[in-house]
Amino acid sequence: MRLAVPIRTLARTGRLPGSARPAAVPCAVVVDRLERLLNLVIALRETRRPLPASEIRERVAGYGQPEGEAFRRMFERDKADLRALGVPVQSGPLDRWDDRLGYRIDPEAYDLPPVRLEPGELAALALALSATGLADRAGAGLAKLEVDAALYGDEPGRGGASWRAPRGEGRAALELELDAPNHLELMEAQLTRTPVRFTYRPLGREAAERIADPHALVHRRGFWYLVAHDHARDARRAFRLDRIVGAVRAAGPSESFPPAPDAGLDDVVPSLPAEGPVLAEVAVTPAIAWQVARRASGGGAPVAGPQDESRTAFRVPVGDPERFVQWALEYGPDLEVLGPADLRTRVVAALGAAAGQERP
Amino acid sequence: MATGTLDRLERILLVVPWLLDHPGATVDEVTQRFGLDRDELAADLDVLGYCGLPGYGGGDLVETAIVGDRVTVRLADFFRRPLRLSLREGVTLLLAARALAAVPGLAESEDLERAAKKLAGVLGVPAGLAIELSGPGDEHLGVVREALDRRLVLRLRYRSRSKSQTTERDVEPWALVGAQGSWYLQGWCRLAGAPRDFRLDRVEGAVIRDEPAELQPAQAPWPPAYEPEEGHTEVVLDLDRSAAWLPDRLVVDALEERGATRRLRLRTSSLEWVARLVLSLTPHVVVVAPAALAERVTELASDTLRRYEAV
Repeated sequence: MRLAVPIRTLARTGRLPGSARPAAVPCAVVVDRLERLLNLVIALRETRRPLPASEIRERVAGYGQPEGEAFRRMFERDKADLRALGVPVQSGPLDRWDDRLGYRIDPEAYDLPPVRLEPGELAALALALSATGLADRAGAGLAKLEVDAALYGDEPGRGGASWRAPRGEGRAALELELDAPNHLELMEAQLTRTPVRFTYRPLGREAAERIADPHALVHRRGFWYLVAHDHARDARRAFRLDRIVGAVRAAGPSESFPPAPDAGLDDVVPSLPAEGPVLAEVAVTPAIAWQVARRASGGGAPVAGPQDESRTAFRVPVGDPERFVQWALEYGPDLEVLGPADLRTRVVAALGAAAGQERP
Repeated sequence: MATGTLDRLERILLVVPWLLDHPGATVDEVTQRFGLDRDELAADLDVLGYCGLPGYGGGDLVETAIVGDRVTVRLADFFRRPLRLSLREGVTLLLAARALAAVPGLAESEDLERAAKKLAGVLGVPAGLAIELSGPGDEHLGVVREALDRRLVLRLRYRSRSKSQTTERDVEPWALVGAQGSWYLQGWCRLAGAPRDFRLDRVEGAVIRDEPAELQPAQAPWPPAYEPEEGHTEVVLDLDRSAAWLPDRLVVDALEERGATRRLRLRTSSLEWVARLVLSLTPHVVVVAPAALAERVTELASDTLRRYEAV
């Protein structure tokens, strides 16, 4: 294919083909830096051996002029910015015989491996980002996956999630509030097997510093938990993220501990008594019967006895007795605990206390 | 301007692989797909045209051109692939996918599971991540989602927390929100003539009515929290250690540590739900003020106790 006049030859005249206005460069320094960064990425990616800083200064366009100290500052900043963007700039000895530091980008570490998401998967992922309010933090990642899919001919169609996701245009019809302090940092620590250090304040107790190996993050009933191996206790523990005070910091290098055995919901759910769930019998008014029915095992049955003809009896699993009593009391006169006797006694005692009477 | 530069760099590293794969793509196609305008594209390609392999002679530089309506980039094989996902991007995408997949009865679940599996493969290490979003009331998720998608009115049988009464009401749905361990439907309540949040575990029944929802969603506040207003009653409660978790679950004005107890202040438009809350947490919560609340708790307790004594 015949290439027309390259843009760069025209750019010097200040006009671009097809450009509505002269492509005047607002600030030459900005363009210089962008150009320099691109040249650095290309040079480091295409070199077969690590490049020492001196060679980068001599050979990569944009670094030539400044004196040594200015170059060093410029290069340090460029390197840090590229790494922050996710460009894997590696440093290491030049070779076996020369331990001076050199720099390189391993193409394999740079390239996104083929992911090949289907159009439906991309659309679902875009919905997931918008529902969780995470589009700001991973919209660029989704855009990469869209390009990846397009390279395999799986066009997601136009008007999908764009580079600049439209913000503030109404709201998503589905929202999941999953934000919690430190949750992404802890997930990264889990994936990289980095031990973490944080201040933890258990309910009603003093805050103390903990060091732990993250095994999993678990979200349950509105709370995030870190399941981790607690160094001081030498045991697996669950920590609620909202009880971590301040930031979580790394407490060692990555890959400090072996992959953890599976961790999940079971690690944050209080274990049930071994003999199986206890069932309580309750009698309820029609006003709340449907709510209680949802919790009950099996359907309801009419309550025997002349004064109770409007009430329905249900058998409900008890779980934690204290929480069962709380649940029962919230319904007030609409619910009566018929048995077992010890639970009925606890409810009566609580009611007596609340009514300002002596306990029976 | 440093951030502007890095944004442009990120954009170039994203767009170029696609351009290399789509020679002769039209300007419109590129600008629409990547959400940039023609000038931005031209400026990016202009800079790229000065870049290339050290030496920077003929054949070393990237060739870029916009001819008429067509965009072409050549000699940029080093940018054939998009940049790898950063750990943060991968983690965030995986989290979002797994979270939405955990919503019961969602049509997208299978796609999300597959996407999550592919993402986990890219991250290269097993992610320890478990998310549970099922809970009481989630049997209504399907009908609520359908009403939202079709913009139809929902008729709810709802037991309100503030009055402990079940009423039937028509609601124009705005959004379905999963937060704080519960599912909420936000919308315009025609019975109240105001925006309302409905917790799905308090919904007895939900039916779609063949009637379009007319009101546009307002910028409803989130979280669906109670917003104190003038004229609401201030409530003061003392909590012992067993009820120390309570402030986490309420919108609280003030919390004061008083030795073994914590004193909590909040405002409410309805004393009834506070009374039931206090009753359920007896003896760990004590009413300090107002007197009407303490009386209502006593009354509720006595009424309930009467049932137990009648047997």
